[in-house]
Amino acid sequence: MKAIRYLIGLSFVLVIAVLIYIQQQPKPAEQRILGGNIGGDFTLMSIDGPVSLSDFSGQPVVLYIGYTYCPDICPMALAVLGQALRNLPEEQSEQIQGLFISVDPERDSLEHLASYSAFFSPQIIGLTGEKADIDKVVQQYGAFYRRVEMRDSAMEYAIDHSSRLYLIDREGNLAAMVSHSTSPDQLMRHLEELLN
Amino acid sequence: MRKLLLASALVFSTITFANDSITIEEPFARAVPPGQPNSAAFMTLQNSGDKDLRIISATSNVSKVTELHTHTDVDGVMQMRQIDAIEIPAGGVTELKPGGLHVMLIGLTQNLAEGDSVEVTLNFEDGTERLLEVPVKHVMPMMNHQHKH
Repeated sequence: MKAIRYLIGLSFVLVIAVLIYIQQQPKPAEQRILGGNIGGDFTLMSIDGPVSLSDFSGQPVVLYIGYTYCPDICPMALAVLGQALRNLPEEQSEQIQGLFISVDPERDSLEHLASYSAFFSPQIIGLTGEKADIDKVVQQYGAFYRRVEMRDSAMEYAIDHSSRLYLIDREGNLAAMVSHSTSPDQLMRHLEELLN
Repeated sequence: MRKLLLASALVFSTITFANDSITIEEPFARAVPPGQPNSAAFMTLQNSGDKDLRIISATSNVSKVTELHTHTDVDGVMQMRQIDAIEIPAGGVTELKPGGLHVMLIGLTQNLAEGDSVEVTLNFEDGTERLLEVPVKHVMPMMNHQHKH
């Protein structure tokens, strides 16, 4: 009898321990967004000077974090955004601001970022900054990047990174996140929701 | 006359060195913004032979360096890596597509605009090679090419 009570007690302690462990695990951004503690204002550099998210207060903003040497994923995400903006009627589309943040300031000059972003849509502004400023935004938005040396490659290094289009409402709050593999039409519907 | 010689040499080399069991469909290279130093080429390779084939290197007339790369999605983190070879299994199909395997064109010597065409040579492990004319295209997932103006 004593043994059973002991076992029940032990399993109770175990369950509590597991619950505490789960509680302490870092939550993916998708869960943290519900708590409202992801996103927020930031200031980075564009070719025309400093740009803050709060500069676009009253406008929906779509934010993407990547780098221009990215062969695939970043151009795909920006192409989807550009196409979604073109799919919208002009009076709606022109209210939306696109922001592309490069986490590779070493290779992405402000000039190059400007022409790179405009290639996908004239409504996308290219931004970057000091590492500390970039890291702050990356952390705020629950994003991730790391530099990876490519010893045998002419690329010298690549950047592993998370890939999400952050949809920010008129008040500057993060409303949703979508993947680069979303279709322009799906993204367009998200944008319409932000406009309403 | 020189052009004709060159053309026949090109045709001849294709016939001589091309690996007959490989069919390459829908090759394309990504159009990039002016000043962009690199791009990527994609295609579908079909191996109708009974031997596995491996591409071990590639060259292009528009890039200083051409490498074989892959892209993987590990828990939402995109990772690009150089690889030694791209394998096309006997009787199988290997797809080089956005978000996955690609021929990386590094150090572009010219702008790649939609409508341009570039040459890519694939070198196979068995010593054969294949020269491709690759059209430059705007790459859009879902291939939604409707442009509204």
